[in-house]
Amino acid sequence: MIEKIKDFLGLDIKEDKYALVDDPIFGKIAKAKKPDFWVKSTCGYCGVGCGLYIGVKEGKATYTKGDPAHDVNMGTLCPKGLSEHYMLYADNRTLNPKIRKEGKLRDVSWEEAFSFTAEKFKEIQSKYGNRAVAVISTGQLLTEEFYALGKFVQLGLQTNNYDGNTTLCMASAVSGYKQSFGSDGPTGSYEDIAKAEVVFVIGANLADNHPIIVHHLMKNRKNKKIVVIDPRRSKTSQLADIYVPIKPRADLALLNGLAYIIWEQGWYDEKFIKNKTDGWREFVKHIQNYKPGEVAHISGVSTKELYHLAKLYATSEKSLICWTMGVNQSALGTDTVSAINNLAIMTGKIGKEGCAPFSITGQCNAMGTREFGFTSSIPGYRKFESDRDRAEFASLIGVEESLIPKERGYKYAQIVEAIERGEIKALWVVCTNPLVSFPDQNRLRKALKKLDILVVQDAFMSDTAQIADVIFAAATWGEKEGCYTNSERRCNKANKAVNPPALSKSDLDIVLEFSEYFGVRDLLFKDIKEPKDVFEEIRRISKGRFCDYSGMSYEKIERMGGIQWPCNEKYPDGCVRLYGDDMPFNHDDGKARFICADWRPLEEGVCESLPFVLNTGRTVEHFHTRTKTGSIKILDDLAPEAWIDINPKDAKKLEVKNYDRISLSTPRGRVDNLVVRVTELVAPGSVFVPFHYSSQLINSLTNSLFDPVSGEPNYKQTAVQLHSAKVPQGIKLKDEILGAIGYMKEREKEQSGVKEREMNE
Amino acid sequence: MSAVKSFIDYKAKTGMQCGSYFIDLPPLKEGEQYRFHFDATKCIGCHCCEVACNEQNNNPSDIKWRRVGEMEGGEFPNTLLLFLSMSCNHCIDPACLKGCPTNAYEKMDNGIVFHHDDVCIGCQYCTWNCPYDVPVFHEERHIVTKCHMCYDRIENGQTPACVQACPEGAIEIEAVNVKEWVERDMKKEGNAPNLVDVEITKATTRYTLPKDMPKNLKPMDSELVKPAHKELPLVFMTVLTQISLIGFIALFLGDLAGSFTSLPKPDFSMAFTIFLLSAIGLPLSALHLGRPILAISAMKNVKTSWLSREALALGVFTALMGIVSLMYYFEVDGFLRFLVEFVGIVVGVYGIYAQSMIYRVPAKPTWNRITTTYRFFSTGYIATAILAFIALLKGYGNVSDILLSFSILLGSLQIYLFFESQRFYENNEDYVVKRAKKLLEDNFGIFYKFRKISLPLGAVVFPLFAIVSINAGSDMLGYVFIVLSILTAFLSELVGRMLFYSTALKTGLPGNFFAGSQRG
Repeated sequence: MIEKIKDFLGLDIKEDKYALVDDPIFGKIAKAKKPDFWVKSTCGYCGVGCGLYIGVKEGKATYTKGDPAHDVNMGTLCPKGLSEHYMLYADNRTLNPKIRKEGKLRDVSWEEAFSFTAEKFKEIQSKYGNRAVAVISTGQLLTEEFYALGKFVQLGLQTNNYDGNTTLCMASAVSGYKQSFGSDGPTGSYEDIAKAEVVFVIGANLADNHPIIVHHLMKNRKNKKIVVIDPRRSKTSQLADIYVPIKPRADLALLNGLAYIIWEQGWYDEKFIKNKTDGWREFVKHIQNYKPGEVAHISGVSTKELYHLAKLYATSEKSLICWTMGVNQSALGTDTVSAINNLAIMTGKIGKEGCAPFSITGQCNAMGTREFGFTSSIPGYRKFESDRDRAEFASLIGVEESLIPKERGYKYAQIVEAIERGEIKALWVVCTNPLVSFPDQNRLRKALKKLDILVVQDAFMSDTAQIADVIFAAATWGEKEGCYTNSERRCNKANKAVNPPALSKSDLDIVLEFSEYFGVRDLLFKDIKEPKDVFEEIRRISKGRFCDYSGMSYEKIERMGGIQWPCNEKYPDGCVRLYGDDMPFNHDDGKARFICADWRPLEEGVCESLPFVLNTGRTVEHFHTRTKTGSIKILDDLAPEAWIDINPKDAKKLEVKNYDRISLSTPRGRVDNLVVRVTELVAPGSVFVPFHYSSQLINSLTNSLFDPVSGEPNYKQTAVQLHSAKVPQGIKLKDEILGAIGYMKEREKEQSGVKEREMNE
Repeated sequence: MSAVKSFIDYKAKTGMQCGSYFIDLPPLKEGEQYRFHFDATKCIGCHCCEVACNEQNNNPSDIKWRRVGEMEGGEFPNTLLLFLSMSCNHCIDPACLKGCPTNAYEKMDNGIVFHHDDVCIGCQYCTWNCPYDVPVFHEERHIVTKCHMCYDRIENGQTPACVQACPEGAIEIEAVNVKEWVERDMKKEGNAPNLVDVEITKATTRYTLPKDMPKNLKPMDSELVKPAHKELPLVFMTVLTQISLIGFIALFLGDLAGSFTSLPKPDFSMAFTIFLLSAIGLPLSALHLGRPILAISAMKNVKTSWLSREALALGVFTALMGIVSLMYYFEVDGFLRFLVEFVGIVVGVYGIYAQSMIYRVPAKPTWNRITTTYRFFSTGYIATAILAFIALLKGYGNVSDILLSFSILLGSLQIYLFFESQRFYENNEDYVVKRAKKLLEDNFGIFYKFRKISLPLGAVVFPLFAIVSINAGSDMLGYVFIVLSILTAFLSELVGRMLFYSTALKTGLPGNFFAGSQRG
């Protein structure tokens, strides 16, 4: 009562709570949060790999601050990084292992969760075969955890139906690199982005998704031309000297077209082609189909502009192309990546300072799983199909060679299809949230119902965790130790600052302990007790491989602020860029290959009843499916729900204005209650919706359409109809809609296809 | 080269302040102050500065000292998306400081406009005054808080949080020569789209803007309209004191008239009623303070603050009215009473004038008009109706007639002002006024309609009917119409005043699509 009166009168202005105090490292900081000590670590959100310090006060993380001595971020962090410590105390932490009992998830002991799950897995495996258990993991564990998990799944559970959500994001870059260079491995460095004279940013909105890379992009700005190729007038495009408003998914045609012009004008590097590449002659023949006039028609980029771009790229000394999801998340993703690589190798823009075809990764440790995750390859970039690689790996880890699978199992989407067919009965989902992120949600959700058991291992009660039968409560960033490898192959050290809450455990501990229930701990993890032991094994098995960690140690990584692989006797301090003069390509002949890939129009183009192209993407405030950022108020307030960007011309037709609500539909599903944002940032005929939100589940519209090589979904172009309150039937396509022009040829075919689908529904 | 060294070298080469926790600022020369430089060509709208600021100052997420706004212009593909990150502009002529009734603001030697938290009483007048919407009321703390450029970091050679955190180096601290800025550079470099003219407060922030910007850059929140605070204590306080003043003037005139004509003199009941209105109204205003206990310190800055002047003048005015009431009670008549009444009127008129000047601030375009002053003075038409009621009770029908005539006269002025304001809304292209109009018509449509109908009824129709009834010989009907007039008019003025406050949108930062300008 007295407190209330005092409060009403305004006696207490809480000065102490808002006072500042001296910190020996960072200077004046908030007294209420002043850490007792700082722990050096690495950010756990995206693939940029920023160094940071976690401040710990009374066992709780209270601060995250950028490490000024770290080469990647030089003291800065993005808004997610700056508020990362709040993530640990989100109200949606899993906290304890759980089992669904009488329809409800109940807290149980680890013993119960493990034995229940192990029983179930064993029962299913004995009945339907080992491969009836499938695992989908992530790009967000530590490398040590990926390695242990992969080893356990492939050699312990003996199922190769194991893939990661990296297939939804980086897989096309992986297979594109493999096609062109014989191995995965992003070729460049942020330093190259900084030092380049010309940077092409294709299908990447760095400003929203990788703000810290923009820091590098903007270095040397006066002597640099930035070209942004994107159908959307993104934040990143605002930084460009040249913005190229390409038509949706015309990138492969554009790249082939640029290759043609470079060839035609003689701007290619003859010596490089002769010495270091293979397939030039066929490639020249191939690009004859991509004459500027035709490419201009397909891409919507004028021939004059095409020549300008080709000249800029080929004749500048330091040219770099970087890309992300706009390229990867496409049914032509692998080939488009290779088309980028083609440009680099025909002009010799690779392996030199400021030159690279450079894929920027999405998750903090997508690279870790690519290198050692045992999903798309055997750890250390070894091939499943190579007898030598299998034998070598088996002997290095001391198991029977027969135990090593001879081929890759099902990819992500194939796993879903196999569940649909009833072939896979158990699914173990680790640190990913397919119930928001996977395309064609209605199909996925129907399929998952067929499972006998769904196990979700996560630190957060994601949408997928909500429907799980068993929850393995995991620790997350800041609560465990190991390595994250970033976009530029820099292996960074992440450290434990606080203990995992309640019963939750690090993913490594979960795997190690779970393996005991299958009696394989001794076989697979004999001397392994802590992350460092796994790291030592990774060093050993990667020795001599392309992604060579043998020259690294935890201490060295921390000392140097991360080390870019390969790191060995030849490159003791790591390697800034791949394929320099002293490094052959990874095909057997040591050469890079030209890939003759053809552009195809959209499989599902716009048509009369689906007149808009839907593009999905992200916003700077949120990470993936918001399991981590959704409860961080300072971020969520800025973007609390999904919205749809609509061009004013289309808004007029639909009779909608800002803040109206609108629905979207495709033959696969419908999304209601999207807030309208009328904006000139999207072209007429195209709309943009962020994919973060389960409340407006945009992936119920996207298609089950995947790149045939990488298995990556075609998220970025979906033909949709819009339904406003005043125009509930939506609009009918007329020729003036920009997005449509490129697909006129296919229109008739598509229309009949859609009608068929509609009739089938 | 070690990582640290390469960073330092890089910084040295480009002169960037971002990333480093330590800053090398040259000592200020004579006539210089610190200020922000914001480079809009570098800002990518990542909101790092906002998060870093809140982390630095332990502020909860709804108290943002630094905010990033957005606007858009042009046509696809030639669209410009422009971000504006703003905290305090540390003005040379700070409106917050001038208006603050308690002298809580200080313009420090280094130019930083600093807010002394302990002095603040949470009156929030600075939040009305600042045309950039910078000071923000912190409910938990009962006071206003604002950016102080991390003055204690600067003093210790440390980088302010926003500057340190900006990944693109878009925010910097620099020294500026005040004279050169005001006389030469301010007009060119101190203005940015959708911000008020830099002249108003002589803001010091320097902007680097893209070349060839499209003309019509539209704030992303231009259609996001949130009502301002209703300020209920102030609604009652202003209406009651304004009624009191006119009543007191009528009392004085009645006193004069009683001395020189055959009309009866006013009596204690009239004087006391008039005094009571103000005596109830004035203390009510303390309720809107974050710290009512310190209400008295609102009179500290009579030198520059209209709020202090109002508080002091109306305080004295009410006290004098109290004395006059006592004089009537003890029947102290004659020159002394005239004198006290006259002084009371002068002080009261000044008080209501000062009260109106509180609202005539560039940051609130719908208030910033001379009609606000007229309106405040004409609201008192209710007072003469109240006095007319008392006169009728005492059996002075003729006095009622005269008083009601004054009601109609002042009421007509009030009606005129109302319709004038409608025209103002119709013809105004200002984006703040347009949004205010939307509020008035959409969010408060019912209240607005009520005001439109009730005002002529209460101010003219009912008083007129009362006069007619009294002269027709029916005092009974006269009572009914006077009471109707008083009630309708009072309610109408309260609603009108509530609309006055809640539709008074501010100039400030062009905001975000969802979060708006992140204020209130």
